[in-house]
Amino acid sequence: MLDAATESAPLVRIQGLSKHFPIHAGLIRRQVGVISAVDRLTFDIRRGETLGLVGESGCGKSTAGRTILRLYEATEGAIIFDGTDIAGLSGEQLRRMRPRMQMIFQDPQACLNPRMTVGQIIAEPLDEHGSLSRADKRARVEELLDAVGMNKGFANRYPHEFSGGQRQRIGIARALALDPDFIVCDEPIAALDVSIQAQVVNLLEDLQERLGLTYLFISHDLSMVRHIADRVAVMYLGKMAELASRDALYHEPLHPYTRALLSAVPVADPKIEATRKRVILQGDVPSPANPPKGCRFCTRCPIAVDKCQWEVPEWREARPGHFVACHLAE
Amino acid sequence: MIKSRKLMLATAAALALSATGAAAERGADGQLNILYWQAVSVLNPFLSGGTKDVEGSSLVLEPLARYDETGTMVPWLVEDIPTVENGGVSEDLTTITWKIKDGIKWSDGTPFTAEDVAFTAAYCMDESGGCQQAANFSDVASVEAVDPLTVKVTFAVPKPFPYGPFVGAQSPVLQKAQFQDCMGAAAPTCTEANFHPIGTGPFVVQDFKANDVVVFAANPEFRDPEKPAFSTVVFKGGGDAASAARSVLETGEFDYAWNLQVEPEILSQMEAAGRGELVSAFGTSVERFEVNMTDPDPALGDKRSTVEGGPHPFLTDPAVTKALSLAIDREILVEAGYGAAGQVTCNLVPAPEAYASTANDWCKTQDIEAANKLLDDAGWVAGSDGIREKDGVRLSMLYQTSTNSVRQGTQALIKQMWSEIGVETELRNVDASVFFGGDPASPDTFQKLYADVEMFTNNFDGTDPQSYLASWRCSEIPSPKNNWLGGNNPRYCSEEYDALFEELSKTAGIEQRAVIAKQLNDMLVEAGAIIPLIHRGGVSAHANSLGGVVMNEWDSELWNIADWHRVE
Amino acid sequence: MLTFTIRRLLLAIPTLLAISFIIFAILDLSPGDPTSQIPLTVPPEVREHIRTSLGLDEPFIVRYLLWLKQFFINEPLNILEEWTGYTFGDGDRLRISSWATRSPVVDLIVERLPQTLWVVGMSYVVGALIAIPIGVISAYKQYSWFDQVGTFVSMIGFSVPTFFTGLLLIVIFAVNLQWLPSIYDTTLRVTDWSSFVAQIKQMIMPTMVLALYNASQISRFMRASMLDNLNQDYVRTARAKGMKEKTVVLVHVLRNSLIPVVTVIALGVPQVFGGAIITEQIFKVNGLGQLLIIGIQGADIPLVQTLTFIFAVLIVLFNLVADILYGVLDPRIRYD
Repeated sequence: MLDAATESAPLVRIQGLSKHFPIHAGLIRRQVGVISAVDRLTFDIRRGETLGLVGESGCGKSTAGRTILRLYEATEGAIIFDGTDIAGLSGEQLRRMRPRMQMIFQDPQACLNPRMTVGQIIAEPLDEHGSLSRADKRARVEELLDAVGMNKGFANRYPHEFSGGQRQRIGIARALALDPDFIVCDEPIAALDVSIQAQVVNLLEDLQERLGLTYLFISHDLSMVRHIADRVAVMYLGKMAELASRDALYHEPLHPYTRALLSAVPVADPKIEATRKRVILQGDVPSPANPPKGCRFCTRCPIAVDKCQWEVPEWREARPGHFVACHLAE
Repeated sequence: MIKSRKLMLATAAALALSATGAAAERGADGQLNILYWQAVSVLNPFLSGGTKDVEGSSLVLEPLARYDETGTMVPWLVEDIPTVENGGVSEDLTTITWKIKDGIKWSDGTPFTAEDVAFTAAYCMDESGGCQQAANFSDVASVEAVDPLTVKVTFAVPKPFPYGPFVGAQSPVLQKAQFQDCMGAAAPTCTEANFHPIGTGPFVVQDFKANDVVVFAANPEFRDPEKPAFSTVVFKGGGDAASAARSVLETGEFDYAWNLQVEPEILSQMEAAGRGELVSAFGTSVERFEVNMTDPDPALGDKRSTVEGGPHPFLTDPAVTKALSLAIDREILVEAGYGAAGQVTCNLVPAPEAYASTANDWCKTQDIEAANKLLDDAGWVAGSDGIREKDGVRLSMLYQTSTNSVRQGTQALIKQMWSEIGVETELRNVDASVFFGGDPASPDTFQKLYADVEMFTNNFDGTDPQSYLASWRCSEIPSPKNNWLGGNNPRYCSEEYDALFEELSKTAGIEQRAVIAKQLNDMLVEAGAIIPLIHRGGVSAHANSLGGVVMNEWDSELWNIADWHRVE
Repeated sequence: MLTFTIRRLLLAIPTLLAISFIIFAILDLSPGDPTSQIPLTVPPEVREHIRTSLGLDEPFIVRYLLWLKQFFINEPLNILEEWTGYTFGDGDRLRISSWATRSPVVDLIVERLPQTLWVVGMSYVVGALIAIPIGVISAYKQYSWFDQVGTFVSMIGFSVPTFFTGLLLIVIFAVNLQWLPSIYDTTLRVTDWSSFVAQIKQMIMPTMVLALYNASQISRFMRASMLDNLNQDYVRTARAKGMKEKTVVLVHVLRNSLIPVVTVIALGVPQVFGGAIITEQIFKVNGLGQLLIIGIQGADIPLVQTLTFIFAVLIVLFNLVADILYGVLDPRIRYD
């Protein structure tokens, strides 16, 4: 599957994508600065692959995911979805693209409208974008519930009547309703019990196989990403640090931040675990409102040199298919 | 003298009859809008003594005789005013016989008879009914219908002034047929009758919304076929005096507004709009000080402000009370708070003319110098703080009144005036419903007078001050023994006064009565028990398009509403 | 839900009994006397007779029990008789009687209820109808000029007392422009077009004065509730679904935001029945608020007691209604 994915043209091309939030303050709420939550990201998501996006909380990975889906307005850059730049689309044109790209949210409780039944939630986009008969709609809802492993009879119930895992399945069924090509999974399992997490991940993998979906899987859980992703991207403070195939990244991380992250992952084998050397990062993540001038990681980097303080490292392909933003990576 | 008076009455009556205005046809002038800022609660004046209720019902219910704007009695439903001279009042002053005019009908078409008059007396004199006008029937032994047009009132004692029952708006006649099942304890249950009384007046009740509005229509059975000029009267209630004034003088929505106790300058401003004019009239209301002749010291406990507690440490000194009176500039008080509705007075009984004493006119102009001299001569010398004292007693007083912006303004002015003669004053005001509420458990009522002086207004109904002057007899002193009932708030007690009052109660004839009444008035003022301040009148407003209004403080303001009409 | 409602209704009985006792006690202890409004020319012994005729010589507890009997037995029976035409027992029962008007209090209330419901109720409806769109737009365009103006206006509406706005309107529209009447004509009957116009004209000012106040209050609630919901994930989900913006705001956000607002509105309904004391007094609308204030001024205790108690009943009732509404509107809430 990895091979097939690498060969086809990318489904999504992200070029220099930035998202800045203005900071307002004072009596008349004048803009006094910006938070660059996402800063000039450039990467591709290949058709049929799962791209894992990892990073600490607050690093901008969720913002990146939402901006890619145009839930946030991009400040600059291009989002080329299947050949169309959707960053500039507006209104009706954008709405027509919506069915092809969906999102699964972290909190399955909050993302389901509490006053609508499961059936209404799933069927709503069908009303908006399709022209199915009542019976067909009902059949489609049942089919989707079935696809995510839920009882068909649940369509008339309200979201609060379900457990977290079931709600996430509903969220997935809802996302699948319009046959999307691309789904952004924003920490889809973070709010779930560990026992449920595996079920949901397996469901996602299963659906990908059956429906040929492309995922952007946002998570802070490195082991889960390692399990599900084909390629993995690492973000730090709104910027991409490293992007590589799963094996390359986990075995040969080039960026010191990636190395630090990976060293924190416990290993199941007690022998290896005993010899695992942790890289402990010093200090806190700087404020995104006032990031360091050069490399954004330089304040905490264990190997930083002078250059890192003032020169922004270029996002380059250090090895074939292995991108990194570090002056010191060879 | 009596003869001339009778002649005058006859002329007045003739005038009243001939004063038919421009409109000669009943109902020709359409609707009349009257606004009383206190709404009518009930149209039976025997169940509610409030002025609004008495005056509201005066469009329908009429007495046998009433007072005109000069305070002269005019026969209304009777042939003439009974007197000793014309034989209507017996020589021993114990009976009065009224001769009812022939042909008067109730609004339902039935004849008005002596039976109705006799019934009305029985109705009000029934003790379980709580009749609010019972005082008009005091000492009445019996009321009998001699024949359908003759009614005879017999008193238990000689009554030199026998015009209490059936005279004035407070004592109208009810229809026996309508009220005979409403006697005594049943009185309040007769809502239909109390809300829609049948009367002989120019109007009948068409619709009544309690505490809101009364709609009257012209009485088809009214004795004068050409009156009233208005076909309907809307008698609206509610709001406040200022908005009532506005609705006549500025917006023109109403033709007549009653009792406009508003700051004089605001009123004259509104009048400048040119839509209507203010009318005022003076009756017997006097804003006065009642001066505590007993000691209100809280240390006395139960004996506080009672005769047993002892005399007041300084207010029993006539020099002090006279100085207090002299120090007050009454002109300023009138100007600041009353305007057209006030006049300077030095009398407790300011009117009628014949009863008004002139012996106390020294108080009309402020004289601080004389006041200071009086106190100096009496041995009251200023202490280090400027407050006069004698034998360790300081001239420091607690001055109470009811809560009301004009009264608080007056309080502040008087405090300032008294400070100029070295008298210290502490001011206090009590909510009117408590102050006048008469609750024996409350320490704040005007009867308890837990203060040195108190200020309020009182008056008497009609023109005869006898029952009013009765209040200041020794027996009327409020005390725990009589549950603080009694009108003698100053706790003034003089055998001389009581004896003179006895004489008044036996004397007939206006002139002689007036002489005695003036003496009684002067005794109270000279003793300092009462310090009169302002003779207060009623101020009302009527639209320029309304004619025939004759403002009257002796009776209902609407006494001659049958003559009201539109003018261009 | 039914068992919940019944349980709450049963619980309300002791609560209301306690409230009635407290109201009665407070009124009894408060200073003021029904004879204080009578002119001073009425002598003290007559006043005593009046008090006795009003039943004031009975001990407190007897008067309270009598009132209870009148309110809970005599009055309901009387209403039943009027509805059904049957006479129960001898049909001669002592009703609660106002001291000032000497007429049954319940009749006074029934006579005044329509005006209060029309004027105050209308102002509440108008207020809510104005407030909801303003709240929605203010929240949707947070910090826009519209929101700023809306905030300013509702601050004024909320903080400027109605007696001031009422007087201001009277001076402008009744005194200077002479467009609208300053006094509510309570005898007006709507029979044709011109009397209908007159009715509308006289309702405009009192309704608007109160509507401004109500609208400021409700629009603030609406705005806050909308803001809460606008940032929810399900709104983002709806957008991600490709729903039209109108659908997102009006179906998803508004419906959820209305839940707390509707309950706030329901809790405010007793105020409608309570009338608007000041506004009714200014415009002389013969509503319940005016009745209450006249009763208080005249120490008309049976009237004040009965009115206050009816308000207490309404408050307890509408608290329950608000709770039930919450259960109906929000599927997450179940009372079982």
